[in-house]
Amino acid sequence: MMGRLKFDGYDIVMQEVPGEISLALNITGCPHHCPGCHSPYMWEDRGEFVADKLPELLERYKGMITCVCFMGGDQNDQDLAHMCGYIKTTDPMIKLAIYIGAPTVRAISGSFPFFDYIKIGPYIAERGGLDSPTTNQRMYKKQPDGHWEDITSAFQRSYK
Amino acid sequence: MYTEKYNGQYRKYVNFIKRYRAASNAATGSEVDSNANVENKNIATCSGELCKREKIGCNRLLMMDKITEMFNPELAEEYIRQLESHELYKHDETSIYPYCVSITMYPFLFSGLKGLGGMAAAPKNLDSFCGSFINMVFAVAAQFAGAVSTPEFLMYMDYFIRKDYGDDYTERWDETVTAPGVLRQRTMKDLVHDKFQQIVYSINQPAAARDFQSVFWNIAYFDQPYFHGMFDNFVFPDDSEPCWETLSFLQKDFMKWFNAERLKEILTFPVETVNLLNDGHEYVDKEWADFAAEMYAEGHSFFTYTSDSVDSLASCCRLRNEMQDNSFSYTLGAGGVSTGSKGVMTININRLVQNAVRDGADISERVREQVEKVHKYLLAYNAIVEDSFNSGLLGVYNAGYISLDKQYLTIGINGFVEGAEFLGIDISPNDRYFEYGKMILEPIYAANRAAKTDSIMFNTEFVPAENLGVKNAKWDAEAGYVVPRPCYNSYFYKVEDATCNLLDKFVLHGKLMTQYLDGGSALHANLDEHLTKEQYQKIMEVAVQTGCPYFTFNVPNTICNDCGYISKHKLDRCPKCGSENLDYATRIIGYLKRVSRFSEARQEEAAKRFYDDGQIKV
Repeated sequence: MMGRLKFDGYDIVMQEVPGEISLALNITGCPHHCPGCHSPYMWEDRGEFVADKLPELLERYKGMITCVCFMGGDQNDQDLAHMCGYIKTTDPMIKLAIYIGAPTVRAISGSFPFFDYIKIGPYIAERGGLDSPTTNQRMYKKQPDGHWEDITSAFQRSYK
Repeated sequence: MYTEKYNGQYRKYVNFIKRYRAASNAATGSEVDSNANVENKNIATCSGELCKREKIGCNRLLMMDKITEMFNPELAEEYIRQLESHELYKHDETSIYPYCVSITMYPFLFSGLKGLGGMAAAPKNLDSFCGSFINMVFAVAAQFAGAVSTPEFLMYMDYFIRKDYGDDYTERWDETVTAPGVLRQRTMKDLVHDKFQQIVYSINQPAAARDFQSVFWNIAYFDQPYFHGMFDNFVFPDDSEPCWETLSFLQKDFMKWFNAERLKEILTFPVETVNLLNDGHEYVDKEWADFAAEMYAEGHSFFTYTSDSVDSLASCCRLRNEMQDNSFSYTLGAGGVSTGSKGVMTININRLVQNAVRDGADISERVREQVEKVHKYLLAYNAIVEDSFNSGLLGVYNAGYISLDKQYLTIGINGFVEGAEFLGIDISPNDRYFEYGKMILEPIYAANRAAKTDSIMFNTEFVPAENLGVKNAKWDAEAGYVVPRPCYNSYFYKVEDATCNLLDKFVLHGKLMTQYLDGGSALHANLDEHLTKEQYQKIMEVAVQTGCPYFTFNVPNTICNDCGYISKHKLDRCPKCGSENLDYATRIIGYLKRVSRFSEARQEEAAKRFYDDGQIKV
């Protein structure tokens, strides 16, 4: 059993979850260790416990964010589900998103029902990230009828 | 003998011309006032720069005489000491004009340009309005050092379109309106767009009479409550009234047209401000708030001003006007649109803080002492402007476009963030920083209110300091003060700080700080990429929630130096010709402009600006 989830920094992001203003939490201790990873320091066990800091962050950005996005965290589904539940009790309107490096959602079956957006897939340098047309990674958005729509193309706009 | 005489008196000017020729661009070549709106390095701008130092000296002597006359010679000495030691800065000392103005165009409806020394009589139709309007803007700008705002531009244009083409012109937008037999057939829309083009391109033309500077032209858009607040009871000379429905249509069309036109040319002016009323929770006019979000999402760059009362309006690039008199008058027109600043003196806050700490003095007390002096300096300056007015030199005032009692005397602040950093305060939304803000700003605000009379108004502005930020940093470093960056901030956050996210910036520019800035401040939210309409809507709500009254979003535009293609996005390669020889346009404070035409020091600052790209790598 992994320890409770920790994070090393957060940001307010506009592009990671299309159409949302997201509080993104950089979860550390990433188990995937993709070759060519942009932030290998995130593999380490470092930072503060997310659950300890979450109330303060939600209070600070109350009414300003539309989404909380976990950048990783699939190594501890139980902790994740607990925090998702907490966020939804604080503000039922807030959406939840997660970026995971695993190719499936098997590891997050407990927290899965809470999410509105899920990005899956390891980073493969030759195929690029979500903004690359050849990417293996996928972003899904839960629709009102419960089915998950692949919205990866939203990241691949080519600007003119 | 002659050589000696001329060498002694004029060598410095010849040397200046040589240095100007060698400078990389006009803003860098300018030694005294590297303004954003000087685009070209040419003989006219060189000529304008040549005698700036002499004008500064002349202005200072005028001030010394006046301060001595009104107060005492010691204070006159102190004024110069403060300027020369860079504790204080008087803006636009190189000109003898008042600073900036937002005019009522009512006199123009009755006497055309005659009041301004021109020939044209009152405009009678759309053609004469458009032609004379351009001349009027140049004529007014010729008598001010800074911005000229015409909040009523589209309201009057709508009136003249209705006069020529009927009140239902918006319903016949796509109908051909040219006479049969005319070779170039035009629809209503074509015709109005031709007028937009004529006006905007003409006013962006650098003006010879202004040392080849463009006019700093500003316009305003109103939502419905603002429109009613500003123009209820307004009547045109033929007794007709402004019409909200057609004006709303024309405002939207102008914004759309201007946004599209900026794909053809980087047009700096007009600087546009959308004025939106909120009720403390949300925007009152949903249609206009939605439209503003839509325009941001389409890549348009403009300011939004929001207030919970229509008695304040932002009409210049950031000047906030707490309207004294909002009523309509048959001689002056709409009272609320007239405002401006007669002159600005900026306190170097970083220097003030460091001196106070050095001397073991209370910082707020030092602010109070400084403000007391600045008020006296500004009163002396005001008396000089009144002298000019009483001698009939201020034609724009005599003609009724503005009056002296409608304009402010402005205290600017610069080096605010840097002073806090010196005290070891974290520049983020935290109690210590907000306490610092109160400690600096509240005494100024209180003194301004206490000093108000029937004819004198003071306000405080977080000045854009497009070149002062660079100069203060340089002067302070030379004098041995702690200087954390080569260009002092124009915001309540550090421009290069990647940890200060977009929402934090709105909190920092929210009511906790800006409640004391009765003359304005602007949040420039730098973004790496445009947001969706829904995201902008949400951020605009955040502005209401945090009480951030004035903001814009800034995504660098890309200009291809080879084929001239312009994109609203920040690109690494021209999508049209593939060239990597690119330039970027962004706001140097208020004005959209090519980065390569900023002064060199400002270019360095621009390169360090942090654009929220939200790129978290996992």
